[in-house]
Parts: sequence; C-alpha cells; structure tokens
Amino acid sequence: MSAGPATTASAPGPATRAAALEVESLRVCYAGLPAVDDVSLRVEPGQVAALIGETGSGKSSLALGVARLLPSSAVATGRVRIAGAELAELPARQARQRRAGLVGYIAQDAMAALNPVLPVGQQIGELFRVHRGLSRGDASHQAVQELARVWIDRPEQVAHAYPHQLSGGMRQRVMIAMAMALSPPLLIADEPTTALDVSTQAEILGLVGELQAQTGSGILWITHDMGVVAELADWVAVMYAGRIVEQGPARDVFEHAMHPYTGGLLRTRQDLRTGRPGTPLYQIDGAPPALSAGRPGCAFAPRCLRRTEICAERRPELVAAGPALGATAAQGAGTPAAGTVAPTPSPEPPWLAACHHPEVSS
Amino acid sequence: MARTLIRRIAFGVIAVLGVAVLAFLLEFVVPGDPARAIAPRAQSAAVLENIRIQLHLNRPLIIQFLDYFGELFRGNLGTSYVQRQSVTSLILPRLATTGYLALAGVIAEVIIGGTLGIASTLYARLRAAVAAVNLTLLALPQFVVGLVLLLIFGFRLHMAPVTGGAGLAEIVLPALTLGLVGAPWYAQIVADQLADSLASAYVRTAVAKGLPDRYILWRHVMRNVLSPAITMIGMDLGAYLSGVVTVEVVFGWPGIGLLAVDSLQNLDRPVVMGTVIVGAIAVVFFNLVADVLRMYIDPRTMQDPA
Repeated sequence: MSAGPATTASAPGPATRAAALEVESLRVCYAGLPAVDDVSLRVEPGQVAALIGETGSGKSSLALGVARLLPSSAVATGRVRIAGAELAELPARQARQRRAGLVGYIAQDAMAALNPVLPVGQQIGELFRVHRGLSRGDASHQAVQELARVWIDRPEQVAHAYPHQLSGGMRQRVMIAMAMALSPPLLIADEPTTALDVSTQAEILGLVGELQAQTGSGILWITHDMGVVAELADWVAVMYAGRIVEQGPARDVFEHAMHPYTGGLLRTRQDLRTGRPGTPLYQIDGAPPALSAGRPGCAFAPRCLRRTEICAERRPELVAAGPALGATAAQGAGTPAAGTVAPTPSPEPPWLAACHHPEVSS
Repeated sequence: MARTLIRRIAFGVIAVLGVAVLAFLLEFVVPGDPARAIAPRAQSAAVLENIRIQLHLNRPLIIQFLDYFGELFRGNLGTSYVQRQSVTSLILPRLATTGYLALAGVIAEVIIGGTLGIASTLYARLRAAVAAVNLTLLALPQFVVGLVLLLIFGFRLHMAPVTGGAGLAEIVLPALTLGLVGAPWYAQIVADQLADSLASAYVRTAVAKGLPDRYILWRHVMRNVLSPAITMIGMDLGAYLSGVVTVEVVFGWPGIGLLAVDSLQNLDRPVVMGTVIVGAIAVVFFNLVADVLRMYIDPRTMQDPA
C-alpha cells in the first residue's frame, strides 16, 4: 500500500505521508448545544475507520463537519486536516474548489442525494467539467468510464438514465462513482448501505474494498451496523452523546470491548446471529440523552449496569485501554499523556476508552 | 408516454363534452325569453312567436339538444341570435385578443411572483415584507386592482390609455392587473419549492462536489422549482383564455370575456355556448401542454401508472 504515489497533489510534503484525516478536538454546536463534543480521531491512508453509534450520537454531524458541509445554523470549532489540508480554514471559494478533490461524500439515501431531474451521467460529468475543465463531450465520456469503474453494466446507457430509473444498488454505486471521481484521499460514507438489501450491501462493500485497494484512500465509514464494521473496518470509534467513548483496532475492540456501551452494541449483534427463536433480543435499556451543555459525569451512566457514584460526578477521560494496560490502568486515574491522540502515527494505534470501570478481560 | 398522452386527450374530450352538456342545460334553467331579448319592443305575440319558430325555440328540449350537438360534431357552433353571423366568426378574433392578454398576464404573474418568491427565500430580511405584499394582493379583488391602476396611471398620470381597445399601449394595465392578482400564488409556490430544493440532499451533494453556487442554483435547483410552476402556468393560460371577464370589463378589452357577458345579457344562447366550449377546450389544451412540458423537465412524471 505504500508503493503507490500519494494522491494528495498539493500537500506540502512532510517526511511521512499525511494522515487521510486528522481531527483534533472537533466540536459542532447547534444553538449552543454540542452535537459533537471534543472529538479527535485519525484515519490513515488505505484504512477503513468505522464510526459507530446510535441515531443522534453525532456521527453525521461529525462527518458533515469534516467535509465542511454543515448547515449554516451549526458552529464548528477544532481542527480538521484532510491529507494535510485544512479545508475548514480556507476561504469559501477555495474550499469549494478543493473540497471534491480532498473528500468524497457518500450519503445514506442515494435517491434523495441524486438530483431527480438530471441524468446520472451528467451528474458525474459535471465534476470533470467544473474541476478539470473538460468539454461537455469529454466529460460525458469520462462519466461513462467512472460508471464502469463502479461495476455498472452497459455504462453508456446508464449514463443517460435518471436516478428513479435505477435500482437502489445502482444509485448507490453512482454516488460512489461521484465521490471517487476526483480520487480524493478521504472518503466519508454516511451509512451508505442502510437502505439496501443484504446482497446489495455485500456488493457495495466489495466494491468499496476494491476501489480503496486501487486508490489507497482513507475511509471514514459511519454506520450502526456492527456486521458492516466486522466486514470492513480496520479501526473502530464508538460515539455516544457526541463523544467518542471507545476507539481502537477493530479486532481488539470486537474481542474485548472496554466500554460497557460498546459491549452492549456488540451483544445486540450477537443476539441477532445466535439468539434462539422466541428468546427476546438483548437491548440497552433507556435512550441516549438529549443534547445539553456542560453535563457532569458520564453521559452513558443512566443506562449503564456498571455505574457507581463517580460516574455521575466526573466525566471519564478517553485514556489508554486494552489488556496490556488493563492491570495498571484499571482504576483509570493514572496513565499520563494518554488523554489525547498520540501526535505521531505509531505502528500500533492506541486503544482508548472513556470509562471509570472499563472491562478488563482475562 | 404516447399512451399517457392518448389517455389524457381522451379524458380532455370527455371533459369538454361534459362542460358543453352542462352549459346547454343551464341555459334553459336561466329564466328569460331569447325572443324578447331580440325584439324587446315587439308588442304582438305573433312577432315573438315567429322569432321562436325561426330559432327553433318552440321545439322540445331533446330535439334542440340533438340538433345542437349534431351540428357541434360537424364543427358548427351555430349562428348568433343577435348579430346574425356565425358564432365561430364572432369568437375567433376575440379569442386571439384574449390570447394576447392571457399571455401577457401570465408573463407578468411569473415575473412578479417569481421575483417575490426568490427574494423572500434567498434574502431573509425581505421575508416579512414579501409576506405582507402577498397577503395584500391576495385580499384585493381583480376589479379593485384594475380600477386603482386605471385611476392612477390612466386618469392621474396619463401614462396609459383609458378608452379601451386592444393595442400594445392598452395591454399594459390589464396585464399588470392579472399579474398582480396572480403573483402571490406563484410567489408561494416558488418560495416553497426553492426552500425545499435548497435544503435537499441533492443540493448538499452538489455542494460536496464543489460546484459553484450559481451553477447549483440554475442547474440543480431551478429545474426542480420550475416543474410545479409550469403546471400552474398551464392552468392559468387555460382559465384566462376561457375569459378574464372582470379585467376585460374594467378595461374595455374586447376579448372573449366581454363577448360572453354581452351574450349572456342578450340570452344569445349559441354565443354563450360557443364561449363556454372554446374556454373548456383552452383549459384542457393548456393543461395538456403543461403536463407534456413537465415530462421533459421532470422525467419522474413520465412514468405510466402501471
């Protein structure tokens, strides 16, 4: 994966290749209330990072904040670097010109995200007309090639079709073709398979995997489907009430979730797979809290089976976790310098959890 | 597409026939004797009876009905009781005159309403002002707007003719009247569609693609706004062609509406029937044209319901 040349055309080359995405202390507020609260995360080139959490946990606000697509009512602070470029700091005009080259955005509902009155070929082609200055004819030729790249049969015909004439899977592939058209170093997929049937989902996952192998993009995959995470992700970040409560290598987190919320999410999935008919599915009781500013303690505490007094009083920091550290870090307070994401990319990315009582596995 | 079109045309023909039958029956419900209207000062019953016989008014209703519709299917709208000339030759020039006015009125509506709608959506500061203008215009009847315009621009400022007629100078005020009275509907539909479209996922996609704002507005947004506006334009053109009675009366515009009013007062049944049928055809025709146009602008509407 390091053999391919960097696709980040104008990144002022640091010695090491810049991360596909680096988010530092991002906050997104609506009317003063934080939907995303002090989130830091990192996606390496060629990596798939899954962002999971319930509806309303702030996943989509985070994604839109990264791509600078938030509605004007939202206020975002913090730093976002995409392949070294700070999209959020650029003047509006430059941000517009560079956005599609930096980040591709795949929306959840492709039917709504594609313009109903324009043929899909035009909707892909206009990227090349606007950003590469191609003529109408060259752009439509290029659009056909992009459609072929996302495994669409008879791309010449499909290019002339309108979104409503395509199947759900085809529409999502058109979205992917659009997002990948300018080979951005970062791809954000906001629950792109939620509306699709299982076999189409598998196809889309396979397609994204192959495209990523070709381009080496980093992918931030937002989902609440743990199956998709297991299939695809190298890295997992779990969001709850606007904050990341646990993040780490996908395999580790899946094997021993440190945070009780992650554990609950995994257990709901396990029940779906192995539960006997007639037995009730596991569920996490209660509902996520409404947006509020400056709440003390752990946001998950009211629903948590492991809660103690401290959980209501002090918010747990996101600190190093994992079996290696478990013995010493179990009481949480220790471990200095682990509260933030390590500034230099380490070969073994840190496994972090924000819980006063992380589960320490044997 | 072809099947949709054929079905629509068939429905249109049925609608026009239905309107014609209803109008025919209504004319006999309206009290009054056409013979007296034709010869108001004739005292002798024999003269009136003679007129009735000439016009076949003494025959049973069913015979008159069959006569009329038999002629109608041959394209003959009959002869005016009052003016002794064929209804077709009376209506056709009037239809053209009303056509100019209808077209000018719709253009005025679209320009005024579209501007109001776009302004109130894109500039939040103007929203309250536009809403007030809309409400005021909605509350004003056509004849009030027409008379006020006539008073100000005609009698006070002498900028527009006040004598009636169908010239280029005479069309301005009646068209403006239609435009002002119809504008709030367009303003509303444009504002709603524009707001929906701007907040839509596909516009966010377009923004994510880094397309310029102006390009997004014209290429991605406006086509979605246009589609319902076109339906309304079609409905308005049809309705206006079937007679903008108030405006034509206020401004003395010699169109089909004025003709309809005159012939109703004279109990000139064939002319009344003619204006009703021509109006119905206009409504059906322009709705059909609007639907076809919509299919090109918004291909989702092209699907045949299975």
